[in-house]
Amino acid sequence: MIRTVLILLTMSIGSVYAYPKIDSILTNIDNKYSLVTDVKARVDLTQQKVNQGAKKLEMTYYRRDSDKSFLIIMDAPENEKGNGYLRMGDNFWMYRKNTRTFQHINRDESIGGSDAKGDDFEDRKLTEKYKPAVDASGNEIITDDTLGKIVVYKFEVAAKVNDVDYPKKIYWVRKDNYTILKEAAYSQSGTLMQSAYYLKFTTIKGRDIAVKMLFVDEFEKGNKSVVEISGISIDKIDDNVFTKAYLENLSK
Amino acid sequence: MNYLFQISLRNLLRQKRRNFLLGVAIAFGTLVLIMASAFSHGISEVLFNEIVVYVSGHVSVNFSDNGNQFAQVFHDGPRVLDMVKKEVPEMRNVQESMGVMARAIGNGKSDNVIMVGVDLKSGDEQDARDAEKNFKMITGNFMDLGDSTIENPIILSEQKAKYLNVKKNDIIRVRYKLINGQDQAARITVGGIFKPANIFMSAPVFLEIHDLKKLTGYGPNDIGTLFISLDNPKKDAINIANKLQTKLKPSLAGIYGDVSIKGITAQSTILGMRSDTASRNLLARTITFTDSSINVTRDAVIISDSLANVLQVKSGDQIQVDFKSKYPGEKGFGFVKITGIFRPNKTVPSNVILVNELDFYKLFYSAWPQQFTDNKSSFVPDTTNALYSIYSPEWNLLPRVKTTTEMTKQMREVGSKRIRGTSVSVQSMYESASAVLNLEIALHMITFFAVMILFFIILIGVINTLRMTIRERTREIGTIRAIGMQKNDVKMTFVLETFFLSLFSAVTGTIFAFGAMKIISMIKIDSGDNPIGMLLSNGHLHFAPTTASVAGYIILIVAIAVSTAYFPARKASNLSSAEALRHYE
Repeated sequence: MIRTVLILLTMSIGSVYAYPKIDSILTNIDNKYSLVTDVKARVDLTQQKVNQGAKKLEMTYYRRDSDKSFLIIMDAPENEKGNGYLRMGDNFWMYRKNTRTFQHINRDESIGGSDAKGDDFEDRKLTEKYKPAVDASGNEIITDDTLGKIVVYKFEVAAKVNDVDYPKKIYWVRKDNYTILKEAAYSQSGTLMQSAYYLKFTTIKGRDIAVKMLFVDEFEKGNKSVVEISGISIDKIDDNVFTKAYLENLSK
Repeated sequence: MNYLFQISLRNLLRQKRRNFLLGVAIAFGTLVLIMASAFSHGISEVLFNEIVVYVSGHVSVNFSDNGNQFAQVFHDGPRVLDMVKKEVPEMRNVQESMGVMARAIGNGKSDNVIMVGVDLKSGDEQDARDAEKNFKMITGNFMDLGDSTIENPIILSEQKAKYLNVKKNDIIRVRYKLINGQDQAARITVGGIFKPANIFMSAPVFLEIHDLKKLTGYGPNDIGTLFISLDNPKKDAINIANKLQTKLKPSLAGIYGDVSIKGITAQSTILGMRSDTASRNLLARTITFTDSSINVTRDAVIISDSLANVLQVKSGDQIQVDFKSKYPGEKGFGFVKITGIFRPNKTVPSNVILVNELDFYKLFYSAWPQQFTDNKSSFVPDTTNALYSIYSPEWNLLPRVKTTTEMTKQMREVGSKRIRGTSVSVQSMYESASAVLNLEIALHMITFFAVMILFFIILIGVINTLRMTIRERTREIGTIRAIGMQKNDVKMTFVLETFFLSLFSAVTGTIFAFGAMKIISMIKIDSGDNPIGMLLSNGHLHFAPTTASVAGYIILIVAIAVSTAYFPARKASNLSSAEALRHYE
């Protein structure tokens, strides 16, 4: 009997210590995904809504994390072409081609009438937003799991700041390289709101970058968005790009 | 004088048919004038008491947290509510107003809805009955909104129920934003379905405001936008708004509490500091850092060197802040990351931590702190302090605006300038509901001009009739002048005749007007989705005649008729008796 208890205890201790700390996983993910260079890419967003058909947005995206800047230029559909969004530090503007005006907007406003928002395009570290979730015993909630044939850590995090969309998330992260393969977002009431699947990756300067993602609306079944990133360039972007004048000139 | 009255009254009876027809015309004109006036006034009452009250309140106190206009919350609610009740004794009531955009999923159907709060608990029974009369229930009971045994009971319009394919007792799932901006999902239960009185009531779903506050994450001392209803809004709204503006001036915000790290605790005053460039530059000029390479950044949290020594902290360390709330049972706490250590001086003493306003307000609003100025150990900067202008107030009181355009501009600026803390603004209906008020003015103008045109036509009839009467009585005038009647008496005879005719007609017209209004207002009008329904009161046309306006219109009609009669009467009195007697037709 004592032996059985000791074996079980050893197994449980072993299983607790078999997992890395969630904080360290989050830090690894942050390091992996943070941009050390400027980036330019083309982003295609296809959004499917129940009874509304599909809507496709095409945009060119410039980002420079050193001064928290990004620029989005809409290329399609036709009615959005020439419109843009510019973030410089704490300021975020929307540019309307028709009226040739810039308007201050919030980070949580829609991009091109889609479900994508300004803060989806900015760099904000996971460790700044989330902390490990713990169970009733105070243990971090992390287990092994598999997605297809890939072995992953499945762990839960809780928001440590209010300005996030979801207070609870579950991540499925590759054990071998901490690449996020799936995430599930929950509301405060515990309802599964959205699942995100990271479907394709490309390697740039030794880092895996997701180039195809699927976002499934779990609240309203049938709504989903596919984001595809192509033409990624990590060359230094000219300072002039992150200016209002550049955005205006592009629309002329 | 009596004989003039007798002659005038007798003359009225001499030309019965003509005077009857003229009297009918004047009575009809009076009837139309009084009914139009009462209808116009009735619309005003409906607009002011049944639309403006719900759209913007006669006076409103508005809140916006961190520049987010969807986060309409104030965290020291009881204080503001008590102040409003004390300072505005002339108010009819004060209610919180809330509307939350949501995505609703019914039985296989989904749609956008606005969840609107209805306050059943804070008013008296009359208030609840007033609210109830706006909803013509098809199924369920309006008062079930307050039934705590049902999970978040709601009532919705029959159109919305049909679109979402739901009936009584069905569950609707909704997705919406909490006041902190997070996505939330909840279940609401159909407690009843009503027939909307107008198009504006078709879209929202209504639930008890306390349920809505709980669903959207309001704390026990949080309040939403306040709508204040007045008995005499036209007279009082602006004065009361100005008075509240003065009373809502914030004090300096501060916290006196424990700061701790790794088991070491010390007491300190924590003040917020504005993050704009001018304020940061002023602070940088006023204090010196132990490390000269430190700058005052937007996310600065700076601590005095003596306090840093006690706590054994350095730049980059995170310290915990705990403090007592003014509300029993609540405690405030949070974390801030030290970015610099300063040397205390006369302006900023030793037991002080200055925190950037974003982090400071997070702490301050986590549980409204006890008044820090009451604590003798606390550092309380006075207005002569060189840094007084950079310290954060309890909230940001926005200046009063005069027009809707200014109000819209101000709201845009609050969002774009990312004002930290809660922005508070006071608005009267003249700024916030000017569209409704303009509609009222337009209706008044249309009514007035239409009635005046009608009345002008009737007056032409009066003049014509008088001229005919005088012409017919020319020989009679000659006779009475020949037997000694004075010119003035002749003139007065005609004037008094018109006076009596118009007075009797106007009074008769008024009596008929009241009868007609009574009958018309009993007719039930089913406006359906027609926007005209917003001008109805509980499905009926609403007439609101006032004693002053009725008396005024009668006097106006009599005065116009008498003044119209004056000139033909004077002409008649000026006839010489010989000439008048020679008159023959």
